[in-house]
Amino acid sequence: MAEDNDSPRNGRAIGRRTLFRTGGAVIAGGLAAPAIIRPAFARDTLYVNTWGGSWTENATKAFFDPFGKANNVEVRTLSPVSFAKLKAQVETRAYEWDVTTQGLPGLARASKEGLLEPLDESVVDKSKLAPDSIRYGCIASHALSTCLVYRTNKFPNGGPQSWADFWDVKKFPGNRSLQKEPGQALAFALLADGVPKDKLYPFDLDRAFKKLDQIKPHIKVWWTQGSQSQQLLRDGEVDMMSMWNGRAVELIDDKVPAELVWNEAEMVAVHWVVVKGTPRAKLAWRFVQFAHQPEPLAKFANTMNYGPLNPKSFDFIPEAQAKRLPTWPANAKVSFVPDAAWLGDNLNELARRFNQWVAT
Amino acid sequence: MARPDVRAWLLVGPATLFIFLLFVAPLGEMLWRSVGGADFTLKHYETFFSTPLYIRVLGHTFWTAFVVTLICLLLGYPVAFVIARYGGKLGGLLLLVVAMSMWTSFLVRAYAWMVILGNRGPVVALLNALGDPNPKVLFTTFAATIGLVHLLLPYMVMAIYAVMARIDPAHLRAAASLGATPGSAFRHVYLPLSLPGVVNGCVLVFIICLGFYVTPVLLGGPQDHLIAGLIGEQIEELLNWGLAAAMSMVLLVATLGVLAIYNAVVGLDKLWG
Amino acid sequence: MRPVVVLIAVLVGAFLFLPMLIVVPMSFSNARSFAFPPPGYWIGYYTAYFNDYRWTIPTLNSVIIATATTIVTMALVVPAAFGLLRHRFKGRNLVNLLMMAPLMVPHIVLALSYYLFLGKFRLTGTHAGVIIAHTCLSAPLAFLIVAATLKGFDRNLERAAMSAGAGPFRTFWYVTLPALRPGMLVAALFAFIHSFDETVVAIFIAGRAASTLPRKMFESIRLEADPVIAVVSTLLFTLVIVATVVATFWRKRTSHAT
Repeated sequence: MAEDNDSPRNGRAIGRRTLFRTGGAVIAGGLAAPAIIRPAFARDTLYVNTWGGSWTENATKAFFDPFGKANNVEVRTLSPVSFAKLKAQVETRAYEWDVTTQGLPGLARASKEGLLEPLDESVVDKSKLAPDSIRYGCIASHALSTCLVYRTNKFPNGGPQSWADFWDVKKFPGNRSLQKEPGQALAFALLADGVPKDKLYPFDLDRAFKKLDQIKPHIKVWWTQGSQSQQLLRDGEVDMMSMWNGRAVELIDDKVPAELVWNEAEMVAVHWVVVKGTPRAKLAWRFVQFAHQPEPLAKFANTMNYGPLNPKSFDFIPEAQAKRLPTWPANAKVSFVPDAAWLGDNLNELARRFNQWVAT
Repeated sequence: MARPDVRAWLLVGPATLFIFLLFVAPLGEMLWRSVGGADFTLKHYETFFSTPLYIRVLGHTFWTAFVVTLICLLLGYPVAFVIARYGGKLGGLLLLVVAMSMWTSFLVRAYAWMVILGNRGPVVALLNALGDPNPKVLFTTFAATIGLVHLLLPYMVMAIYAVMARIDPAHLRAAASLGATPGSAFRHVYLPLSLPGVVNGCVLVFIICLGFYVTPVLLGGPQDHLIAGLIGEQIEELLNWGLAAAMSMVLLVATLGVLAIYNAVVGLDKLWG
Repeated sequence: MRPVVVLIAVLVGAFLFLPMLIVVPMSFSNARSFAFPPPGYWIGYYTAYFNDYRWTIPTLNSVIIATATTIVTMALVVPAAFGLLRHRFKGRNLVNLLMMAPLMVPHIVLALSYYLFLGKFRLTGTHAGVIIAHTCLSAPLAFLIVAATLKGFDRNLERAAMSAGAGPFRTFWYVTLPALRPGMLVAALFAFIHSFDETVVAIFIAGRAASTLPRKMFESIRLEADPVIAVVSTLLFTLVIVATVVATFWRKRTSHAT
């Protein structure tokens, strides 16, 4: 109905007795459509859950298109990534997608709740994986950092350089945004309160929530998706925020006046997840094995700026580019890595308390 | 007596059966889940009523619905009045505008408001020019309220207009011939006659507002949850279907409560024209 | 007093209408941004809309679901209106209340109950599931319109036809139905648009396979800030304008004819 060539036909149909006949034709056409379209989709289809926006674009070029071509498979993407959706699918056994990605803490939580399809060694050749690349039976993909990013035109004399600065609303006035991700927001709050990076876990929850209380009136939005976070900073809806490094670099390359701060960034190892019980598990494992190979992963790292978790990928990455990745030693040194095991055990409870806190 | 009954049931049977099986039964399923299904428990209701946040949001939802209804009434009544009383080209045009905005998708309108109220939209530019360097417009209660008013105003106008269109102008002429000024004729004759439309419009807008999900979620701020948004979050993010079901039951009872009051005062059949 | 009231009405009319116009220039914006006025213009996002299955499939789904909803709704509602208006029978008031009941329940409540109920029968994420839910939501309004038309229908016409020797079926076909057609068309249109616009139930139960256009639009505004949303908005808004103009002309023509 939204195709504009349809509207004159509809307009006429309204005025004529043919409405029901037209309606009948449309529904007949609609029911027949799957039959007509099906030959085109006769190939296997793999449904991959993605982070949307530029993530989907770059992952399509690096992973989905090459894998699809090489294996005569149709790869379709669906966003947003959602842990709840993963859980709901396993519980209801109604699968919308077969493969998703999760950071290590989410992976630990998913493993605890039994949402991961066990590694299928009849499909995956472990000898072709980088050493130490399997966690909870899932294969590593890339490292992503959530950094402090601010608009340089708002702070011409230098912006916030740490989470303590982010909390300092007198020195750095302006609207703020954080990701609605309890494990991460609580860690940032503790860092802002002076807890050293290596003493964050287990969280001192009361201390963290008390610190979060201070910043709450200045948080205009709690973002959930990468593209949404980009829109907020691009349009100046907020002046500083937490953002995934790849998304921030894309904005800066787009000439948005923004600066990324590596200091106290949260670095997470993202893994491919095959959803437990999905009917297309074998195909999914074939895809994951493919996506872990050095070249596709390097291609993704070169465009999306996430650090490949297959060391051989660096053969295909120029040094100038490697410096932009979270895995570059100078960047990694000032970041922190969350305690996945502890978070995996506690995220459910944290999420419940955090969501209530956000809404109050 | 038996045969006409059979014929009547043949006619109304399919619709009755459909709505009973596919509307009443799902609500029953929700009620069932809200008390924990076979393992009967009231813990979800206890959680709801012992969590200050949920009570506060329920109160906030009623308050928002009240404010939005009031604004819709104040803005909608003059429009309906002009359409019904003055008619002509202007009346026709206004009716067309109201109908068009009613037909335009909620999402189109919510998106339009995001652009208008956004940081690089006209409203902020205006406020900047007026000397406010850092106005907060989008993602606030204000934005959510404007969005809701814009969405629901057409319903209010239509409800009032439907009643006004049936008012016989002879009443006003009679009042005038008895020496009433236009103002007092309006107050003593027209306003009371249009009141049923006002009541209908208010109930309609109030009830839609109570369960509204999309607009507050898109335009409102983080502390701006209405009960529908909270239910959505329980379903989508926290997978707590039992609590979501209990919340929905509370909302349903609250809604039916409003309708019951209306029924006692005016009579439900009036609402459907 | 009159000029003041007219002025207020015109301002409110402008408040209703003008904001929607903003989507038109936005759809030609060349920026991935909500900036208005747009920094530059192109038509690239129109191409993007028509070439992206993530938009075209939900659009097609919406058309299929709205059409099916309209047909099922009318098939249920027209006989029900006849039954309720022309017969007195036990339980009539209850049936009447039942027909109106879906109007009284907030959509989010229905969304959850369908999510739980249809899930039991593996109907979430299917066209059938969404059509069922939408039919329940459209039925009351369609019923009201058909019933109102039927109330206004002069039964003497039927009696005249019968006394002229037409059987009940021929009378219905040649006399009753043509007289009711305008009301039924309006009811069908209501049902179609209601389903085509319905968002909340679709968000929770449509899933991947039966995802509708409003659901895709909601996700795209909330999560993606996808500029294609402006294109879809403009197309939908244009459609409303075209439909309104056509309907106005059609009404003028038919009212001149009678």
